[in-house]
Amino acid sequence: MNSQATLDLFNFVKITCGVLATIGLYSVLYKETKLFRFFEHVFLGLAAGYSLVAVWKDALYTMWWQKMVGHAVDATHQSATAGYWIYAILVPIGFMAYQVFSQKHNWMSRIPIGLIIGLWAGQQVQIWWQTYGPQIYASMLPVWPTTFSSLVKPPVTPDLLPAQIAAINKELYLTQAVNNLIFVVTLLSAFTYFLYSFELKGKFMLGFNKLGRWMLMIGFGAIFGSTVMARFALVIDRMFYIWIEWFQSMHFGGR
Amino acid sequence: MKTEKTGFWQKLQNVDRRVLYLILVVTTSVLLSPMFANISIPDDPEPSSKALYYKLMSAPDNKTVFVQSDWTISTRGENAAHLEALLRVLMSRHIKFVIFTVADPQAPGVYRDVIRTINSERKSEGLKEYKLWEDYLDLKYFPNAEGTLNAIASDVRKAFGGVTAKDPTTGQDRNVFESPVLANVRAVSDASLYMIVTASSSIDRAVERLNEKATLALMCTGVIGPSAIPWFQAGQVKGVAVGLRGGLDVEYMMKHGLNYGSDPKTARWAGHESQVAPPVSEGKSLARANLYFLSFHGAIILLILAVVVGNIGMFVTRKKRTA
Repeated sequence: MNSQATLDLFNFVKITCGVLATIGLYSVLYKETKLFRFFEHVFLGLAAGYSLVAVWKDALYTMWWQKMVGHAVDATHQSATAGYWIYAILVPIGFMAYQVFSQKHNWMSRIPIGLIIGLWAGQQVQIWWQTYGPQIYASMLPVWPTTFSSLVKPPVTPDLLPAQIAAINKELYLTQAVNNLIFVVTLLSAFTYFLYSFELKGKFMLGFNKLGRWMLMIGFGAIFGSTVMARFALVIDRMFYIWIEWFQSMHFGGR
Repeated sequence: MKTEKTGFWQKLQNVDRRVLYLILVVTTSVLLSPMFANISIPDDPEPSSKALYYKLMSAPDNKTVFVQSDWTISTRGENAAHLEALLRVLMSRHIKFVIFTVADPQAPGVYRDVIRTINSERKSEGLKEYKLWEDYLDLKYFPNAEGTLNAIASDVRKAFGGVTAKDPTTGQDRNVFESPVLANVRAVSDASLYMIVTASSSIDRAVERLNEKATLALMCTGVIGPSAIPWFQAGQVKGVAVGLRGGLDVEYMMKHGLNYGSDPKTARWAGHESQVAPPVSEGKSLARANLYFLSFHGAIILLILAVVVGNIGMFVTRKKRTA
């Protein structure tokens, strides 16, 4: 058997295993079977085993072990590096986290957890601003048109001079203002829904609050729709894998 | 004892869910079959996808692109289409890239499959294959997204400093910053674009830590999309392709361009007519997302039908009860 034939056979076996696993895992849609349980355990075992090796090989070995022990000039002629043995201190700190399982020593696990929480908390002010600052700024939109010369923004075609483009971009046209108004009303009404500190009174505030609730529901509906579409894409991909990548390609030689 | 007669609509309401699953599987499978392979659904790309394509096509070809690929097989339906389209654009423009993940140890295996597929596709078309070290670097997996992205933001040379790759000319492992791909990169801002292909909240971590340091753009699943669009509207992310539709948007523009000449099929971006991006000059354009899209429509039509039938059934049953 030549190397190409071996490769083809390996590919066939690999994809066939994938097809069997797909069918096995989808069999739960019919009912929970032993077949499903088997493939569920295979999947979990493979994922855990693969991750363990990958974490060591791709991360710990290169980012921690190699730096810690350093290396002499070797066959690859890389220059020698000194070992950063201070990195060894990470081992006892890491083991302290596992003391959470010991009744006597579980206080130790609070040390690494405290370090992590401290690091995380220290970053939050900057992170909060980086996350929400630009969004707050982008929400302050003008709602009054600056020109009525055109209802919609004129096309900014490549043949226009920069000054002409700047003049068009500077104005707020009626349709843009309406869009901005819809955005601002949605934002403010959704905010009023979360005003729990005092009782909302009056027809306007109650109506505005109700509008906010509607807007939130419409938003949740759109989010749910997007999620459903994502799930459909997964099913379609699995069907593609079974019918096109396996059945058609393996038996009839590709699409 | 008098038994109540079950009507047609009541019977429909009581259909076993497994029958619905079977109908879904049969419909999606049939629509994927080769007899429908040449049907392309017309598309008018989303503004966020247009912004993404414009960024990709206007990125200078002498600068490296960072690709953070945070997805695995479970979201291949959407993310594979994204990564394939992204790499096809980069390869057609001969742009060098580094690829890595901060989300999942299994992600490198998956993105390597995509690179291999596109390389063999390019080989069969007589185009230049992308080579490790020369054209791209595979930096593998970095655990702890927060820590890694902080490191990339503050000093990319330290963040990737321990990573080596094989130099094919000497066969020796060398530091990745000696490769032509990263030789000119001193900070993350030296990359023309920082692309994130994700199925998780790793985009949140990237925006938190990188949005002032790098030009971020995103390709994400439909689950992540709704929470990512505000990033785009606030300018924190320069372009977003959401879900399978986003994948098709990019593929469509790869085929027909953006605001490109007088082609009636080119995607027009109202208010941004001066931002012109041509179709890709080589390689495939319409691919995975286009193949899936008809089947996707079939599934959505089924869903709408099921909702309509279920509601009619509910109203008819309620009316019978009150009569």
